[in-house]
Amino acid sequence: MAIKSKSRQKKFDTRIDFTPMVDMNMLLITFFMLCTTMIKSQTLQIALPTNEKVEKEQQNKVKQSEAVTIIIDGKIDEKTGLSNPEDGMLYYYEGMPETDRLAQGESNMEQVEFGDKDGLYPAIRGILMKKNEEVVKRIADLKKEWKEMKFSKDEEKNDSIYQEKAKAIRNDSTLKRPVVIIKATPNASYAHVVSVLDEMQINNISRYQIDRINDVDSAMMIMVKAKNEKK
Amino acid sequence: MGKVKIKKKETRIDMTAMSDVTVLLLTFFMLTSTFLQKEPVTVITPPSVSEEKVPDSNLLSILVSPEGKVFLEVLGSKDSTMKSETVRADLLKNMVAEYKKTHPSANLAFTNKEMETFSKLNAFGVPITKMKEWLNLEPDLRDKFLESEQNPGIPINMNEDPNNPNEFQMWVRAAYNSMNPELQESMVKGRGIAIKADQTTPYSVVNVVMDNLQTMKMNKFTLMTALKTSED
Repeated sequence: MAIKSKSRQKKFDTRIDFTPMVDMNMLLITFFMLCTTMIKSQTLQIALPTNEKVEKEQQNKVKQSEAVTIIIDGKIDEKTGLSNPEDGMLYYYEGMPETDRLAQGESNMEQVEFGDKDGLYPAIRGILMKKNEEVVKRIADLKKEWKEMKFSKDEEKNDSIYQEKAKAIRNDSTLKRPVVIIKATPNASYAHVVSVLDEMQINNISRYQIDRINDVDSAMMIMVKAKNEKK
Repeated sequence: MGKVKIKKKETRIDMTAMSDVTVLLLTFFMLTSTFLQKEPVTVITPPSVSEEKVPDSNLLSILVSPEGKVFLEVLGSKDSTMKSETVRADLLKNMVAEYKKTHPSANLAFTNKEMETFSKLNAFGVPITKMKEWLNLEPDLRDKFLESEQNPGIPINMNEDPNNPNEFQMWVRAAYNSMNPELQESMVKGRGIAIKADQTTPYSVVNVVMDNLQTMKMNKFTLMTALKTSED
């Protein structure tokens, strides 16, 4: 026995079993993955007019042909008191509201479906794009040049030159540009307001403002609604 | 015939490589992570094509619940010169001064301990008269009260008289006047004020907050949105 143990020296296994280590690491990774925020929220910058006095003056300055007023309406769920972001309606009119034919049930206000679920708003986008045609066209041309890297071979430089030129076009007063006045009824959902503000960015509209809805607007809206329901 | 040698197969797998990978991943997550801050109400922000990121410093964010309750979150500067804690403590001090202007008889005195508790809180939203009581609650009870229905949030109403501010306006004013010049600057530029509201919130609710800011001549601010990939 004694001789045997001497000749058979025990070989120690030099390898360490890493399985528990891996287990623990995996656990920690899962924890960190669940607790982190990888995606940061985005922001949309808006500026409201300072106060009502200025607002009215500005509104008068706006040329009739340039102004587009968009009214956002929504539906409030009676049970929850929340506004459904998929249930919205848009109304718009160009220029000043035509109130003289209101008694006959006619005005220059139009009703537009808000859009499909993917957040595409074909009707209002088409209208805005047409209104802002000159700018949109120029931006599209500019974009083509940007994609071909015509401004600079350096990607970053190319980007910044493009941004600068695009901004100049958006604010170019020699072009025909609309002024959009956005109004929302109390029933409209926040998502609707944000998506209409989004349309301003998509259509490169530089002049827009959020305003309060007034009696004329709501009267016209009720009338258009009734008229469309009859149909 | 040759002898068939049956090789004894090792059943254990070498875990070293696996361990290497997991440690690497772990390090990555530890270094890049910023922890999800607990918020009194969970909101789903509406999608937008805007690609501008939310600043992670010098920010006053206004959290609006669908029912119209308002909560505030304040962030200080990124480096250690004006930490969030310092800014928040100063904010509370300013708020007390601001509140005493219109309510001179109010008994509002916060102990150092209460100040410290307040400076560590990410979000707050109780009426100032209840603040002392709220700060002295146990941490989990404090969170519970903030989320509960009996908490009215920061009192806010349609108020167009800048000389007679409501509590929400006082808080915003207090944040503006805090000793952090960077926060003030970003608030003026509009980057420092962010409204965070759920997409189902009726516009009338968000409008109250916007109107209040407008009354205070802080008519530039940002709306928090989630990224929507544009079809282009």
